Amino acid sequence: MTDATTDKFDWAAPTFQAGLRKRKRNQWWLKSLGLGAISIAFAMLLLLIGSLISTGYYAFTQTHLEIEVELDPGLIRADAPERGNYRQILTNTMQSLFPDVPDNRAELRKLTSILSNGAQFTIRDMVVADPGLIGETVSVTVPVSDPYDQLNKGLIDPDTPEQNRRLTNDEIANFNRLAEAGMLSEPLNWGLITNADSRFPELAGLKGAIIGSAYALLVCFMLAFPVGIGAAIYLEEFAPRNRLSDLIEININNLAAVPSVVFGLLGLAVFIGWFGMPRSVPFVGGLTLALMTLPTIIIATRAALKAVPPSIREAALGVGASKQQVVFGHVLPLAMPGILTGTIIGLAQALGETAPLLLIGMNAFITSAPATPFDSATALPTQIFIWADSPERGFVSRTSAAILVLLTFLITMNAIAIFLRHKFERKW
Amino acid sequence: MYDVTKPEHDVAQAETKISARGVQVYYGDTHAIKDVDVDIADKTVTSFIGPSGCGKSTFLRCINRMNDTIDICRVKGDIRIDGQDIHAPSVDPVQLRAKVGMVFQKPNPFPKSIYDNVAYGPKIHGMTRNKAELDEVVEAALRGAGLWDEVKDRLDTPGTGLSGGQQQRLCIARAVATQPEVLLMDEPCSALDPIATALIEDLIDGLKKQFSVVIVTHSMQQAARISQKTAFFHLGNLVEYGDTDMIFTNPQDERTENYITGRTG
Repeated sequence: MTDATTDKFDWAAPTFQAGLRKRKRNQWWLKSLGLGAISIAFAMLLLLIGSLISTGYYAFTQTHLEIEVELDPGLIRADAPERGNYRQILTNTMQSLFPDVPDNRAELRKLTSILSNGAQFTIRDMVVADPGLIGETVSVTVPVSDPYDQLNKGLIDPDTPEQNRRLTNDEIANFNRLAEAGMLSEPLNWGLITNADSRFPELAGLKGAIIGSAYALLVCFMLAFPVGIGAAIYLEEFAPRNRLSDLIEININNLAAVPSVVFGLLGLAVFIGWFGMPRSVPFVGGLTLALMTLPTIIIATRAALKAVPPSIREAALGVGASKQQVVFGHVLPLAMPGILTGTIIGLAQALGETAPLLLIGMNAFITSAPATPFDSATALPTQIFIWADSPERGFVSRTSAAILVLLTFLITMNAIAIFLRHKFERKW
Repeated sequence: MYDVTKPEHDVAQAETKISARGVQVYYGDTHAIKDVDVDIADKTVTSFIGPSGCGKSTFLRCINRMNDTIDICRVKGDIRIDGQDIHAPSVDPVQLRAKVGMVFQKPNPFPKSIYDNVAYGPKIHGMTRNKAELDEVVEAALRGAGLWDEVKDRLDTPGTGLSGGQQQRLCIARAVATQPEVLLMDEPCSALDPIATALIEDLIDGLKKQFSVVIVTHSMQQAARISQKTAFFHLGNLVEYGDTDMIFTNPQDERTENYITGRTG
């Protein structure tokens, strides 16, 4: 068909070859830029995790001291063991360990301060649980207080001038004697997740924050999931397309972009101000987070519903299914992976949200874990906020450790989202 | 004005099943179907032919009110099935669609098992009292679609795992399962290879014993092979309607002639 005499394009012409080289070069640049971007992102991530781990890992262990405590019956009354003078018992114990230390209050207090303030309560709880121990000598392992924990972990440099240190030479010497006697141990710090918050870093833990976050997320999920899906189904499948539905759609998209602190103010004004709900409770936290998560879930659900191929709807309509049967029997099950993914991403976002919780008072100092969603509590991000604000040296590493715990939860939730998507994904 | 040409021998060879008068369809501002009058006979295969965008599929979708599901689409005019106006307030479009089955261009089985695909219609309409009856209905429908022998041992495997031709027959079985009176087919073979197409054509030939079959097709050979009546649509008008033999051998309208001889379309 082609006429051989017409001008044939010369594929070997230098201009064409130059163009080809340029094209290849451009492609190479584009690829390099992409790789570079990914490398930078990855390096940032490594840097973040690396710095968190390098400061946070100190908090995963806690220095403990093993002491022989003589439960003097003169200091504990058998009929009211909870009111015994356990502080004096500990002072006596420490004094017996350091017989050469002068017997005056200041020196004795220094000795006792090696032990965590929680030690007396540990012993009290033991005695209350088993009053038969009174008069015996028991061996207990108790945390040491924060400065000594820091010293043991090498975070206090003995070479700094004494006045710039938190521990004097005498105190360090005393502690070293205990270390040489082999009475120290450094087990995993389970207290970080089994204790509630405390003024003393060696006792402070995340139990209250974890439970508080869990309750808040539960409330958020139970409200935002059904309401969000319901709203999305109505808007996507049943609502007539007119000005009003356009307006609603625009507003939902805008709500998703509203700064979270604004939702916090709304929660404060509505739930606490008007409805008189208590402050600092996970229930109100969950309601506020639900306000924030709702637009995310609605948008994700609508996108998932839209992605279901129209042929499936037609097929179901064609055999005489009603609109409602089409939606609930065919469209919704097919959209479920997308909906679940969107919901979990929304909840993960809610889990990490700090500002709205600060406004409704979930950054209070609360030393017990909440028993119900209506008890005062903190949440993980607000707990991090509180610890980051605390002056004690021990909270520095605990803040990083708490961030790592929060990140673990977030990664777990995202992993669940991926798992669910793969499990429910169906081909058509 | 009136493009409908009715050859005289078109009169009452079979009972009229569907009767349409003055049907107009608008998509937004577009006038897609212009004043179509047609009578479709019972137990006959009627094919709609015409160039792309001529409105044949749109008209087909009027018959089971599928166009109702498109927001911007408006249908005017009078369509009767067995004398019953399908736009009458007493007619439920959902019920109508069970009575007027539809098979689509692309095979669209549900992402469910073969059994559930066929059983879906009878289930939602409560047509069976128990599992045994449902089993019978499913078997009958699959036999009717010529698929039973191929799938009887794997009824619980996904319908989407079948080949294209099998999927299309599964869709036919699904439509047949609700015991319709009319079967609408919108280019059912356009996504299939010639062997699968031949199977479906044989099937349609058998189906016309039970239903009035209306098929939209792009293949004039197919229309000539399987249909007794043919309607030619052009730019939203029904140009010519009559016995298939007549349309293909002795078209009355110039536009029909141009189309079937390949000069336009």
